[in-house]
Amino acid sequence: MPSRQNLLGLWLLLTGLSLMFGLVMLLWLESQWQPSADIRPLLWVLGLAPALLCASVGWMLERRLFRPLRQFQVLLARLVASPDAQGDYPLDGWLHALQPDLDHIRDGWRQDRMQISAAQAQGARKADRIRQELEALLQVLDVPLLICDRHQRILLFNPAAANMFREQPALGLGRPLSQLLPHPGLLDAFQHLSANGAPQQLLLPGKQHWLRCQLRHLGAAHGGVLVTLQDTTAALEHDQRWRRTLAQLLPRLRGHCGSLNSATEALLQVTDNPDLKQRLEHAVEQESQALAVEVEQLTRLVEAHQLSQSLLEETWSNDLCSALKAQLNLQHIRLTPVGIPVWMRVDGPALLALLQLLIQRLNELQPVSEIELEVLLGNRRVYLDLGWSGDPVSEQQLQQWRALPLFDEPLSPRIEDVLEQHGADLWSLPPSASGQPARLRLPLPASQRGVQPLPRLEPRPEFHDFSIADLPAPSRNLANVPLQQLEMVVFDTETTGLDLRRGDRIISLAACRIMNDRLLADDTFDQRVNPQRPIPSDSTAIHGLTDADVAQSPPIEVVLPRFRQYVGNGILVAHNAAFDRLALQLAETGEQSQFTMPVLDTLLLSRALDPELEGHGLDALAERFELRFPPGTRHTALGDARVTAELLLVLLPRLANRGVRTLQDALALQAQIEKRTPQ
Amino acid sequence: MPHVLVVDDEPNILLSLEFLMQQAGFNVTTAADAEQALVQIDEHCPDLLLLDISLPGMSGFDLLERLRSTESTRQLPVMMLTAHGREVEKEKGLALGANDYVTKPFSTRELVTRVQALLANQQQGG
Repeated sequence: MPSRQNLLGLWLLLTGLSLMFGLVMLLWLESQWQPSADIRPLLWVLGLAPALLCASVGWMLERRLFRPLRQFQVLLARLVASPDAQGDYPLDGWLHALQPDLDHIRDGWRQDRMQISAAQAQGARKADRIRQELEALLQVLDVPLLICDRHQRILLFNPAAANMFREQPALGLGRPLSQLLPHPGLLDAFQHLSANGAPQQLLLPGKQHWLRCQLRHLGAAHGGVLVTLQDTTAALEHDQRWRRTLAQLLPRLRGHCGSLNSATEALLQVTDNPDLKQRLEHAVEQESQALAVEVEQLTRLVEAHQLSQSLLEETWSNDLCSALKAQLNLQHIRLTPVGIPVWMRVDGPALLALLQLLIQRLNELQPVSEIELEVLLGNRRVYLDLGWSGDPVSEQQLQQWRALPLFDEPLSPRIEDVLEQHGADLWSLPPSASGQPARLRLPLPASQRGVQPLPRLEPRPEFHDFSIADLPAPSRNLANVPLQQLEMVVFDTETTGLDLRRGDRIISLAACRIMNDRLLADDTFDQRVNPQRPIPSDSTAIHGLTDADVAQSPPIEVVLPRFRQYVGNGILVAHNAAFDRLALQLAETGEQSQFTMPVLDTLLLSRALDPELEGHGLDALAERFELRFPPGTRHTALGDARVTAELLLVLLPRLANRGVRTLQDALALQAQIEKRTPQ
Repeated sequence: MPHVLVVDDEPNILLSLEFLMQQAGFNVTTAADAEQALVQIDEHCPDLLLLDISLPGMSGFDLLERLRSTESTRQLPVMMLTAHGREVEKEKGLALGANDYVTKPFSTRELVTRVQALLANQQQGG
């Protein structure tokens, strides 16, 4: 469109020219024709008409066409510059008729843009979720893996790979793979890798390590290559050590056998040569002795190989329980894991089959509908106990069971083979006076996970700032429930410090449940809490939690209602409960996070039972009653809660012996002790 | 009487084999390692060599190789004795020119039968 100035100029020019022309014409007519007074006004009107017409057409075009066109131009420019800006103004003049179409186009465009941006956001969320899932997967995957682009640069590696190459600076994003693994064979394999995703395997020798490497194309769209690695050094060494020893041993055995054989044959044939006979006899004796030594060595070698425990893996006892639980459900036998779960070193599938077979045989011998599985931590072993209410199994019966094959297959291992594989045995325990049912006990290898013990710390000071006796009394029904039948939730907190009234906050809250006098192994609450304030380093020294550990955790306002829900109808138990209960109280925000149930305190109950003994801290009591913290669990909320639960289970029969049988009795006793304790 | 040289580093098996082979009608001499055997072969070449593979110093395979590369002993019948039961070693021994192969432990009767067969074969061939 021509510029406004040009249009204005043209309009003024045309109007001026028309005016001039009209005036000149008028003046000329006046001089030539001298019109009468009647005609003169008409002539003037005619003379000025073109100028008037020009002016008014120009004005009308400006108002009806050019101005709306300029507005339209501005509108378009605005729409392009800022599509979602509001404050549109309507078209007027002759463009007014275009308004509905323009609106339609504009709204449609805006809608499309919104849909595109929503789809983008959704796509980004989805990609983010996939990324998070992938990251989580990579974190837990213990196979070292690298992803490289088509130029063999490292795009991604997982923690297992970082661990494998921890002393090599060549592992880094964007670094060439050839620096990390400078094997020409690898680069050659990379270049000739099949595009259809078929893997290629290579063995990469090294000075200290031999790596088994697998390459696989990630597809044309990605263009990269997945490299998975396995350090086969240990396996090769183990295998070679065994083979080498055997390879040396067998010829020696054959040699001695050959000598013995020949000497015996010679001895049988020699008749009249006493000297030769004597030498041959000596040879037989020598060779037999050497043979015995070699056979003994062979036996030890075979035993060592069997016990090399290469098939034994770190297994979390609760995982074994849940697998067994699922199997037993099919046979309508209920399995309850009790006690504190621990890590152990077992051949999971074989042990699972063994336990299943044992329980099946037990059920045939005497029908059992409920089995308890308890795992106890010994010094170097883990004791796996199967308990049931019924008769114990005789040793004679166990002897028969040992010979049972695990599966109905010709080459199936027998129960005793699996026991031998674990260096284990199996024996029967009768019901004990303390209420333990009849049991079968399997001692298994404990985990070799080395957990560095935390430095020995002063126990948390006893806390008298808050009285658990001031909590509302239980209902009469609840008060009279025998302690052994109470549902109890044993909990513990870790905090930023000990001064709860001056702003120290919960950073970890965990609990476990006691039902029918048994600690349920797989029923727990364990949640880290963001205290929304920094964790002091001296507090980190106790529980090991740092700001980064709780940064992603929910705040206590979110955690507490969940914990309240977990507690359900149970009563609460804690060691030095006043502290933990106050921590809860100070964090209570609404009805959904109110804890009005009674609280038992193992510290007060222990003090009531053994007033003459010093030391009622959790460590001291755990030592006194031989309760073990699995490695690395002391000063974790769940670890402490579980040992507190075991402690309570030890205290309950002793309380019963002193006539403290119901909740009311226990509350009265601890209130009495609390009163006596100096404030 | 055919002359058999037995080479083995185990004194007990030398003692027994010497006696047993003599009983079977052979003239037997013994050597405890490859060097001794070479000296004896140089002095008086036997009709057959019973050779153990695992010898201290020069191994049975080395000795065999040397014998086969020397003109005078190229045709000397050699029976390998070994405590290694692996099939590949048998193959290796035969490839290096051994005529037969016996794995320890063995029965003397079988050994004598095979030694006689080898000698008979040699005479026919020779």
